[in-house]
Amino acid sequence: MNKLLPIAAVLFLLMSGCNNAKKETTAPGELKISFKHSVDGKELITDNFVYTNAAGNQYMISEIQWFLSHPALIRDDGSSHALFGDEGIHYVDTDLPETRQITATASIPAGNYRGLRFTFGLNEADNRSLRFVNPPRSFMFWPDYLGGGYHYMKLNGKWINTNGLEAPFNFHLGIGQEYDSTALKSSFVNPDDCCAGKHCEGFKPPRKMMPVKAFIQNYFEISFEEDIRIENGKTTLLELDMQVEKWFNGKHIYDHNHWGGSIMQLQPAMQQGCENGAEVFRLNVKGFTDESK
Amino acid sequence: MNQSKILLFSSLLLLLFSCKPENEPVKWQATPYQTEIPFGFPTNLNIPSDNPLTVEGIALGRYLFYDGRLSGRTHADSLMSCATCHIQSRNFEAGIDHPRFIGGFVHGINGQQTHHVMLPLVNLIWNHSGYGWNGFLWPENPVPDMRNIEDFVRLAVVAPDEINGDTTRVKQLFQNLKGYPELFGKAFGSEQITFKNIERAIAQFVRTLISANAPFDRFLRGEYQLTASELNGYVLFTTEEGADCFHCHGGGGNPLFTTHLFYNNGKDSLFTDPLDRFGLTGDAADLGKYKAPTLRNIAASAPYMHDGRFATLDEVLDFYAHHVVLSKTIDPLMHHVLQGGVQLTPPEKADLKAFIMTLHDSSFLTNPAFAQPDTFPDQR
Repeated sequence: MNKLLPIAAVLFLLMSGCNNAKKETTAPGELKISFKHSVDGKELITDNFVYTNAAGNQYMISEIQWFLSHPALIRDDGSSHALFGDEGIHYVDTDLPETRQITATASIPAGNYRGLRFTFGLNEADNRSLRFVNPPRSFMFWPDYLGGGYHYMKLNGKWINTNGLEAPFNFHLGIGQEYDSTALKSSFVNPDDCCAGKHCEGFKPPRKMMPVKAFIQNYFEISFEEDIRIENGKTTLLELDMQVEKWFNGKHIYDHNHWGGSIMQLQPAMQQGCENGAEVFRLNVKGFTDESK
Repeated sequence: MNQSKILLFSSLLLLLFSCKPENEPVKWQATPYQTEIPFGFPTNLNIPSDNPLTVEGIALGRYLFYDGRLSGRTHADSLMSCATCHIQSRNFEAGIDHPRFIGGFVHGINGQQTHHVMLPLVNLIWNHSGYGWNGFLWPENPVPDMRNIEDFVRLAVVAPDEINGDTTRVKQLFQNLKGYPELFGKAFGSEQITFKNIERAIAQFVRTLISANAPFDRFLRGEYQLTASELNGYVLFTTEEGADCFHCHGGGGNPLFTTHLFYNNGKDSLFTDPLDRFGLTGDAADLGKYKAPTLRNIAASAPYMHDGRFATLDEVLDFYAHHVVLSKTIDPLMHHVLQGGVQLTPPEKADLKAFIMTLHDSSFLTNPAFAQPDTFPDQR
């Protein structure tokens, strides 16, 4: 009984305070980014040999999986406003529709911004092994022997090679390695493939036999200059378009016939890819949705 | 304050004063079971909301898993349980040396061989991508009774090439076995046995079958140093210039040692199996695709591949090294296909095999918690 009276009193106060008059409240502005994958200006078609790159490789794409991190709006004074809290790392997968749109979780002050930037992949501080334990992110792990952490991107497909055969390619970008091609024989070297001498003059063992002497961080920053407006009570829509053909056509013409189907241990190939990456993305400011709050 | 609000307030007061719990009966509650997540393993578990893990459910499930009367029969020649085929020491497969199932090719109680060979019952609590070689049981299946391990139990009991049982007969049999109704009561709150609860109990037990204490796990935890050969093998396992196993079969960053996803790994160039992934999805890009199984304890679970074509790990390594076959739907991850495979030398194969053996978890294969109970409830 003693406990019930205060409850009743609170209920009474609540009810007497309620009136039918609506109060004006304005929610903060919201920002959504949708991810699009296109080839030659059109939506990506997977598992179909309908594309030819700048090197003349006829090719198809089966799937693309990639990370971007720390997207932020850029203010007029050059400072930035992060769109997410502490992690700010987003995984995009052409096979998983739920990954192809994100909504900023940080509160964004209303106003005009002059652009957007993000990191393609993960920077050195973020790219730590076992930070993601759940699929599909965990499946992006980059082996420790090759630098650890995670793939920045897996872009898988096939191309028609010089023999007219459908050759698989894994255009995978991540931490690169510098190999010691002059290393002495070690337990990694198969004696059957090498000469009897302590150091094989003129013999270049395959990469799988060479010890790694350095790692190269291949991630890069992308920024766009676009007028982006955030308004209270409205949702601003941005579309980030990965123009897939530009991975193979930018600063460099990337030729699958030259680099082959696997490049995780081929820093020069990954470097070409990442340098082309500067031109891969396009930002479309779609304006506000029709939703109001 | 208007009249309607006065009435509502008065009603609330009446409710507050009238509600007086008196001597409510104690509600049944099973004991929640907390799955311990091993180092580096996923935290997301595939546990249906209508069948949480409980101590009582798991204990009951272990009895049912091993009780040959799951066939619904009592004659010694007609007993068949999950454990008839799923042998703990063989990674919960039959094993290539099974005395009854020659070469590890299992057949049901009627002698009819199953369409595919078995998959191991290991770490299934982390499988969100579908059970079976083509993933025909998956959580988002629009068919509600084709989604999870519970449904696999039912299918195994009724399948003509497995237990070939009758669910009504099975539940009636257990209803009349002393000790079982009480265990169902403790696990599910009712001593009235339903086949659904039989499914649930066995599924709970299967979800506890966790293997995470192999030498490689101890290496990840800093408790074991790989030998030079094992380390070489690990490098080969996780490099594209080596054997490139890791994209499909995991590694340090994915200690499940499977993605649970489906791949055409270059076994064949023509596909006639109606139960490959294409048989389920109808997507031509899925022709010849099958699940990549876990490599944990793989040495114990021959034969290998969906049709058991390889009897030994050496044959498997030879296949991936030299005999991969091109087809229209070969997975792009098989980028060595035009060379016939990853072209490992004999010492490299030995090192790779040495690494694979570091995934052998003896403690899982002999864990008493997963073994056959000493007695069944009606034998106490």
